[in-house]
Formats: sequence, C-alpha cells, structure tokens
Amino acid sequence: MDYLIEIQQVTYQYPTGEKPVLQDVSFQIKKGEFCAIIGPNGSGKTTLCNAIRGFIPHFYKGELHGDVRINGKSIKDQTVGELSLQVGFVFQNPFSQISGVSETVFEEIRFGLENLGIDTVVAEKRVDEVMKLTKITHLQDRNPFELSGGQLQRVALASIIVMEPDILVIDEPTSQLDPEGTEEVFEIIRLMKEKQKTIILVEHKMELIAEYADHIILIDDGKVILNGNNEEILTNEKVLEHNTLLPQYAMLGLELRKHGVNLDRIPVTEKQAKEELTKWFAQEGQIYV
Amino acid sequence: MAGDNILKLNPLTKITFAICLSISVFFADYPYALGCFIVLCFIAGFYRILKDYLIMLLKTLFIIIIFMFILQALFYPGHEIVWQWKFISIKQEGLMYALSLSSKILVIGGSILLFFKTTHVKDLVSSLEQVGLSPAFAYVILSTLQIIPQMEKRSRQIMDAQRSRGVETEGNLLSRAKAFIPSLGPLILSSIVGTEERAITLEARAFSAPVKKVRAHVVKETPTDKWLRILFISLLILFMIWRVVLWII
Repeated sequence: MDYLIEIQQVTYQYPTGEKPVLQDVSFQIKKGEFCAIIGPNGSGKTTLCNAIRGFIPHFYKGELHGDVRINGKSIKDQTVGELSLQVGFVFQNPFSQISGVSETVFEEIRFGLENLGIDTVVAEKRVDEVMKLTKITHLQDRNPFELSGGQLQRVALASIIVMEPDILVIDEPTSQLDPEGTEEVFEIIRLMKEKQKTIILVEHKMELIAEYADHIILIDDGKVILNGNNEEILTNEKVLEHNTLLPQYAMLGLELRKHGVNLDRIPVTEKQAKEELTKWFAQEGQIYV
Repeated sequence: MAGDNILKLNPLTKITFAICLSISVFFADYPYALGCFIVLCFIAGFYRILKDYLIMLLKTLFIIIIFMFILQALFYPGHEIVWQWKFISIKQEGLMYALSLSSKILVIGGSILLFFKTTHVKDLVSSLEQVGLSPAFAYVILSTLQIIPQMEKRSRQIMDAQRSRGVETEGNLLSRAKAFIPSLGPLILSSIVGTEERAITLEARAFSAPVKKVRAHVVKETPTDKWLRILFISLLILFMIWRVVLWII
C-alpha cells in the first residue's frame, strides 16, 4: 500500500443536480504529502473534499460511482464517526463552524477532544499548545459568536488541529483573512506538514501554494485536468486556460521567455525568481546597461 | 455559610425537591401551600436572590393569579354572595376555589422558577448527561440556549437588509404585518441551511466518533445529594400516605 488516499474513478452527482459535479476523478496522495487542489469556482473542489471526508456518500445523498480509499479502506465501509478519527476537515464558512454549545474559544477548541474521549488534563494542555500555535491565546475567554471572520477561521483550524488527525482536509482557510493572517495560516499548515500530516488544501493564493505544496491537482468542470508535482503544474501555461492563475513569478518567467529572455527554468517562488534573474543578469545583463 | 452549601447542590437534588414540593401541594389545602411558598422564599433568601425572585414572580405568576381570582370569583357557581353590583357578583365559594388553585400554582411555578434561577442550564444538562441522557439530546438543549440570541441578531440583520431594499418595516400595524413575511422567510430558510453546516461541523469535531465522550464540565455528586434526594422522596411518600389515610377516615 503506497498511497494513503486513493480516489478511484469517482463520479458524483448531487441529488438536486442536473449533471455530475465530479466526473471520473482519479488520483492518489502519499502519506505526508501536501497536496493543493486548484481550479476555478464551481469546479468541484469542495465536493471532492466532502468525498474524501466521507460526507459524500454518508451525509449528502446522490449518486456516487467509484471509490475513495483511505489507508486502503473504502469510505463506504466506514461511518462518518470512524472517519473523524483519521481525517480532520476545515471548511470555508467560519461562521458555521462553531459547535454552538461553548461559551468561550477555549471550550470550543476543547469540544472535539471531549468527543474523542480524551482525559481533561491532557486535553487542556493540548488546547493551550494549539492556541499558542495558531496565535489565538488572547482570544481564549471570548465568546466564539462574537469573533470576526478571520479570528473564527483560526479558531476553526485550531479546533481541528487539536484533534491531531493524520489527514487534514482544508477548504479555503484564508478566504476571510488579510495577507498577514494568510501567511500565518500557511505557517501553521507547514508545521503540520513537518509533523508528517497529510494535507489536502483547496486554495486560490498561488504564490503560497508555490511556496509550500508538493503535489498539485488542477480541477475544472469536475475533471482532473492536470496532476503533478509543484513545478510541473505551476509552470504550465495550460493552467491559465482554466480560469486559474499561476504564481506571479511563473507568469513573469513565461512572459520573459516569450520576449526572448532565455531563463534556465521558469521560477515559481520568489526565491527562485531572484535566483534566475540574478543568474540571467550576470550572464547577459551587460548588454542592456 | 448555609447559602454557599445550598449553592453547591447537584441540580438533580434541587429538581427533586422542586418536583416533590409540587406534588405535595395536591394533597393538602391552601394553608400548607402558602407555607411551602414561604419556605421557597426562605431558600431564595439563602441564595441572596430574594428580591430578584419576588420581582420575577410578580411579573409572571402574579398576573396569572390575578386573572384567575377575577374569573373564579365571578363565574364559579356558588350561593354565598360577598359583594354584588347589578348582575355582577363575587361568591365566597369562588374565592376559596381561586385561593386553593392559585396557592398551588404559586408553589409549582415558584419552585420551578427558583430551580432555574439557582441552576445554570449547563449544570442541569451535564448532570442529566451523567445519569444517562444521550449526548445528542444534551447538545440540542445547550445549543438552543446559544442559538436564540443568534437568531435575534440574524433577524435584525434581515430586517435591516429588507429595509434597505425598500420593505416598510415601521409604521402602522398593517405595514408591520406586511413586513413580517419578507423578514421571517429568510430567517427560517437560513436557519435550515445553517443546520446542515452545523451538522457537518459536529461531524468534523468527531461528535459521532465511536468512543466514549469525556466532559470537562462535570457536576459534583456528593453523598449529601444522594441522602437529600432519598429524604425528599420519602417525606413526600409519607406525607401522601398520611393525607390519604386522613381523607379515607
């Protein structure tokens, strides 16, 4: 068993939908991999997340063909409760990700641990650690209903991370955040990767994906268009045809190449862009001076 | 201090007391019930909430009792007329009946109100969960408490949104009534949609995980609680037997 998550020819249609949202989707994700799913709005990214988490077919009815296997076991054979021990799920709307029974952020984060049956003393220690990690310690006594979207998004992420699942499915965690908050969330995700968690992230901020992701899957209209490693996808101009951006460094590289600037490779991150351009200037820059 | 000791009683003990007291008033006449009410006031005094408690009773039970007195005094069939004005008359029997009914209501309502005034609902739910209430049901009760203020906030938002679209929400009764549907519709629909996401949130937090839950908020159950409960119930049974025996003889 080489892969942790295997999606095998998944086709799914919502009960009220007219055509399938996912069509013959297949890919595999290895353990410890950081996989980013990109694609335009309405392409089926969130539906895919729901399928990996088992909400399809257990929560949303509708027609599901194919199979999703986690650790070699089909999600069809496991209940949502069993899956919750392995797969953590953070979704888009932070305002509806509150349990609704906790009066403080601290209790909110502890809620998942209570459900997992974790000893209170251990749980409190873990909540403290996670709050430090996600930089929300100052919010711990606030009522979750009174927080802003950005603060809630961090609380939602913390509430899932604290449960320490092996797989994290994160659906647009930065939609409500400012650039600084976004960087912080990615920093948290990076720390999770260091802890050998397998991460599936849906995100639109390409520069950050370029920085952190190992594996990228482009989805459009319910189909997997491109599937490959970071640089392979992010330097591929085909991505632009699907209403999806490339990192600005890759755009710059592609544009320069079109104008006859001969870069060794197309950069995808800021660091690579600097390297490539410095190299290029060193070789040919004098001509233009 | 005595007050502090009562404060720490298990909610189940308090509710046992409230229920026993409420049942007992059906087996005795109004002087007993009024005595019970004085006991309730003393307990409220121990908790140092006597003033709040009496104000709350005045706002709720008092109104019911006044109405009952008026209705029973005027319409209860009887002969001994206390006071008469044209065709309206107040009868002795009606007054007595109203007195016995309202004293019962005072004790039943009063003990339940006192219970909720001295008990955090969270404590009640966790103590019920400890004796076997299903976590899902406990969740429903607790989340309702939080959701009501949320719904209020939402309904204000919707009203504002509808006003900005030109729906008249102020003015006379008719225009307020007309605004009711465009504000209530979205509120109900959005709450239903919210339920779906809430269910996913709960699943994401392992609510239905096949493990035994641990609650951080635990209500203490002392031997005193156990003995008090046995005491209340046995006192009630003895009281009932005594009254029934008296009644048969």
